[in-house]
Amino acid sequence: MTACTVDLFTVEVIKRALVSAAEQMFVALGRTAKSSVIYEVLDYGCAVVDRTGRMVAQANGIPPFIGVLTDAVRDVLAKFHGRIRPGDVFMTNDPYMGGATHQNDVVLVAPVFFDGELVLFAASKAHWNDVGGKDPGSWSPSATDIYQEGIQFPAVRLVSAGEEVEDIVEMVARNVRAPELTLGDMRAQAASLQVAARRVAELCGKFGVEGVLEAIEISIDQGRRHALAELRSLPHGVYEAEEFIDDDGLGGDPVPVHVRVTLSDDEFVVDFTGTGKTCAGPINCPLSVLISTVKFAYQSVLSPHAAPNEGFFAPLRIVVPEDTVFNPRRPAPISTYWESDAYSGDVIWRALAAALPDRIPAGHFLSVCGTTVSGISDETGKWFFSVEPNAGGWGAAAGKDGESALVCTNDGETYILSAEVAETRYPLLVEQFALHAADAGHGARRGGLGIVKDYRICNSRASVTASFGRHLYPPWGFAGGQDGSQNRVEVYYPDGRIDRRGRLSGESMPAGTLVRFITGTGGGYGDPMARPLEEVRADVENGYVSREAAGSVYGVVLTGDPVVVDVRATERRRAGENSAGSTGKLEGLKGKTPKVSKTS
Amino acid sequence: MSRRLAVDIGGTFTDLVALDESTGALDLGKTLTTPGNFADGVLDAIAQGDIDLADVSQFVHGTTVVINALTERTGCRVALVTTRGFRDVLEIQRANRTDMYNLLYRKPSPFVPRALRFEVRERVTWKGEVLEPLCEEDVLEVAAACRRRGVEAIAICFLHAYAHVEHEERAKCLLEEACPGIPVSASYELTREWREYERTNTTVLNAYVRPVADAYLASLAEQLEARGLRGSMLAMQSNGGTSSFGRSRRLPIHLVESGPVGGIIGAAAVARQAGLANCIAFDMGGTTAKVSVIESGDVAIRTDYHLERSQTWAGYPLRIPVVDIVEVGAGGGSIAWLDEGGGLHVGPRSAGASPGPACYNRGGDLPTVTDANLVVGRLDAGYFLGGRMTLNGENARRAVATLGEQVGLGVDDAAMGILRLVNANMQAALERVTVERGHDPRDFALVAYGGAGGLHASSLARQLHVGTILVPAAPGQFSAWGMLLTDLRQDFVRTCVTPCTPATWEHVRSEIGDLASEALRGFAEERVVVERAWAQLYVDLRYAGQEHTVLTPIHDDDDLDRLLERFHGLHERAYVFRLADPVEVVNYHVAAWGTVRKPSLREVGGGSAPLSVARKKDRRVQYEGLGWVSARVFERDRIPVDREIEGPAVIEEPAATTIVLPGQTLRRDRFGNLILAEEVTP
Repeated sequence: MTACTVDLFTVEVIKRALVSAAEQMFVALGRTAKSSVIYEVLDYGCAVVDRTGRMVAQANGIPPFIGVLTDAVRDVLAKFHGRIRPGDVFMTNDPYMGGATHQNDVVLVAPVFFDGELVLFAASKAHWNDVGGKDPGSWSPSATDIYQEGIQFPAVRLVSAGEEVEDIVEMVARNVRAPELTLGDMRAQAASLQVAARRVAELCGKFGVEGVLEAIEISIDQGRRHALAELRSLPHGVYEAEEFIDDDGLGGDPVPVHVRVTLSDDEFVVDFTGTGKTCAGPINCPLSVLISTVKFAYQSVLSPHAAPNEGFFAPLRIVVPEDTVFNPRRPAPISTYWESDAYSGDVIWRALAAALPDRIPAGHFLSVCGTTVSGISDETGKWFFSVEPNAGGWGAAAGKDGESALVCTNDGETYILSAEVAETRYPLLVEQFALHAADAGHGARRGGLGIVKDYRICNSRASVTASFGRHLYPPWGFAGGQDGSQNRVEVYYPDGRIDRRGRLSGESMPAGTLVRFITGTGGGYGDPMARPLEEVRADVENGYVSREAAGSVYGVVLTGDPVVVDVRATERRRAGENSAGSTGKLEGLKGKTPKVSKTS
Repeated sequence: MSRRLAVDIGGTFTDLVALDESTGALDLGKTLTTPGNFADGVLDAIAQGDIDLADVSQFVHGTTVVINALTERTGCRVALVTTRGFRDVLEIQRANRTDMYNLLYRKPSPFVPRALRFEVRERVTWKGEVLEPLCEEDVLEVAAACRRRGVEAIAICFLHAYAHVEHEERAKCLLEEACPGIPVSASYELTREWREYERTNTTVLNAYVRPVADAYLASLAEQLEARGLRGSMLAMQSNGGTSSFGRSRRLPIHLVESGPVGGIIGAAAVARQAGLANCIAFDMGGTTAKVSVIESGDVAIRTDYHLERSQTWAGYPLRIPVVDIVEVGAGGGSIAWLDEGGGLHVGPRSAGASPGPACYNRGGDLPTVTDANLVVGRLDAGYFLGGRMTLNGENARRAVATLGEQVGLGVDDAAMGILRLVNANMQAALERVTVERGHDPRDFALVAYGGAGGLHASSLARQLHVGTILVPAAPGQFSAWGMLLTDLRQDFVRTCVTPCTPATWEHVRSEIGDLASEALRGFAEERVVVERAWAQLYVDLRYAGQEHTVLTPIHDDDDLDRLLERFHGLHERAYVFRLADPVEVVNYHVAAWGTVRKPSLREVGGGSAPLSVARKKDRRVQYEGLGWVSARVFERDRIPVDREIEGPAVIEEPAATTIVLPGQTLRRDRFGNLILAEEVTP
């Protein structure tokens, strides 16, 4: 260690104070924002970034925002070098620059000065309800270029030495549908940056700028050392996997996602060469988002609870060819990026799962399975909008069954809607909200169950949008565990028509229509024939596994009510038969077959 | 009948406080907790305290029996009955991934397995209209299944039951008839707030602990009565009030945070008496530190309590009013350790009572906060627990030095480092209840208690710019003491979404009025003598279209404008802005209070004595920024009233030590409290 002016305990005190600066910024923005997507859905993140653009500390509501804000700070540094002054705030949301996701997610960056010296940056990114574009709410599943998805801010100065830049504010106000709300959020966001700035200034006053900066260096170095120590414990080699995104959102062909992960003593290389071209539909994933999702995958594999600073990510190297779905070419549409983004993590986990079955579970239902039910209420004459994510089944791992009914990797501390609240707010009757036993995801460790939720439309008309990825390619099982089941939407019209689909785009439905949302079961791990008898018995008693599957897939013969295991018959069956089709089958769909390999 | 008695069972010790109402004299007792048979511990404590139960007019009890049954999973086999289509709500929960970067996250597993979750046909709307009547045959089938499957308690939670209780009432009645001996809990008895998962879980957990709590309280009552107790028997509830044993046996989930709440009520009381309206209760013990905010004398109550929630786990929601407490793994036993990346941590792992800190000489060799306090001279090895236990300073130094070597620090610096780090952890908790909720810590005093509260309060107060610290008398038994001051309280919360307009104003008023009368009728059943029964009325208001609500007091003489103005003001304080949007009521909330007579506290004497009567031998103590200095040491009970002591100083008493930093002054007030003051920068 170099000679230092701060001891390691002081480093810890400063580290905690910087994390708490990020957290207090997070709380302050949650308290002051006017849009519920910020303070209820927690679709925002806050960070403290050093003066060279390195991540120091962060607080996020959802995982895809991990580490994403550094690129925005770097853009600001590159563009405004030498012209950054106390009291400035910069604004960026251009998905083809750094740090942005889609235009709705607007990043604000403020420098923090102490005694005239630039010390750090405070940055946050928050989902604004509307930033213009062709559809209300701006993001659109049917956009064909980025101009339809809202106004773009290419890292501009929003506040100059404490004064709002009027021209920019007027431009914003004129280009969004609900300016009062949007400007309210914008100002709340700008003000929350000052919360962090005050904390940092306090720290500088107490420990000196030198002390704070040195503590940051040491903490980044600790992050790097921690990551390297973890990396050395992983099995080195080259791992490849390929998966397919069902379609490009506009109904096109499946899109291949290919990854080659190389693990060595000092590097974790993720190479997406072989991934499909930029798509026509808006599922393209801007490079910044891709990088942050890969950071999430990396962190989840290496050390889920490590402090995610720049040093921790130092061993990670990412290769993404240009003009692909993960590094699209302007002006391709990107506003539903999460439809492809989640696959970048999933395919990394898939490549590594067999080597790290105690760190990585089988595939999960993966899609946000977002739904929107809207219309004009018969009762109030006003518009209603119900927008929500869905829960689904997670995959099994070496030490555990998969979890039932959790939100996907793109969501974090995200809550699904209560049926009682939904019925009170919207003209809907929730007729069922249950676990869905899909007869899939079997294994020595079983995949978790998805859900089935029935909405009966109780309004003369309602419009339903649903985007359920993984409606073709199911979550993957491994090490002998079976694949899970697909997500889907079923619509039962009053005239008897039935429609089963993966995506619905503003489908108009009359009163009495029943919409059934079904999410997938997660993938299984290990040979089902190895599942302990008592667990299979309990699965049947609890209705997670059918009696038939217990016999045919798990080789367990059950009798009676309450259910008991016929041990003799079970032994005969398990000895006599090999498990039927439980070899982690990779099924071909539309002529495309997912594959996994290890090459060294 | 002139004594009041409080017994508080904690994890390690059972504390007893007896107050003689005629003289104001306090008797204190501390015995080891007797896991397995808590009632014996209570009776032991009473026997050791030499208390004649026939003299006791009121017995208040804080008990961990409910929280233990929950966290140790030793409750009973519960069946759940739900509306058809909704039995899985208990397992689906809210589907959030609290530990978001952890792919192996395990969500809380439900307290009722799927095979014991039954559905019946019935359905009402959010407005309380019946869509499908209750199918009684279904209920009887469930009853038969429960008997067959050896079920020990039943929970019922129907959709929208908060708006229509009749189906639950009828189902409860049918089940009780068909399943004699099996207690049935229905959601309407516990909470009438919306959100089916939270309400179902609340009902299930009540059912889960009911047989355990019932047996315990019944047997304790019987034994106390057999020993002559004729006074009222009250249990300390999580809502900051007490309740009769009878009611608690039926609704035991209200006892979930029975223990820590006593201290918070006590903190509110001593602060009020000392003329401090706003304070932060800070309770630091062996394993954790707990903090809670008291504003204008009111204890903060929330209805979004979660059992076992942490930063990496969702926990189990309980929709019952619980005092707002934030807890961190920072106590005297918290262990300091180095991670593989070279980062330092203190806690949350604790050395507990066994092996305990290295200085306990019981085989522990890891450095703890207590060891660090001993190394820097804040604790006296020979005066721990009043000298009943001798600490081994060499062991403490060795443990701290070992960690120090790993990070290139000498033993003194390492010990100071441990203290600074544990303080930083507690500072985060204190900021969570203040700054993050819109309070400025400078507007508050710190009331510090628990075994370690006084050791750390002075540094914490300085970090937070808090100008006043109060360390109450007998900080080690403070929770039990607070229970003596606690009034009866029952909460009634009901969801009924109503617009708040001139047209609906009369309706809003009559809803809250009806709820208040219902609440006050409840006391008649309690058979406890109260001086005065009164109701505090609140409405949970929000701007139409938003989700979050603000609990707003409503008074008898309010008109609509006044209520709305109060709401706008509270909203602005919590969320920084106000809107011109329409406002609606989400919940009606009544807190019914039964005031008990407050004991008067005896004043301490000895006003004119010189300070020297309290002086002990000076000792070398290390202070941050000063290094080792010679600090004056005083015996707390001998300090004359209102005589000022300048820091650096150490105040000792048998079960606690209070540190005074340079720049702080301390005095003992006429009620025996220690008051530390420091000028703070505005």
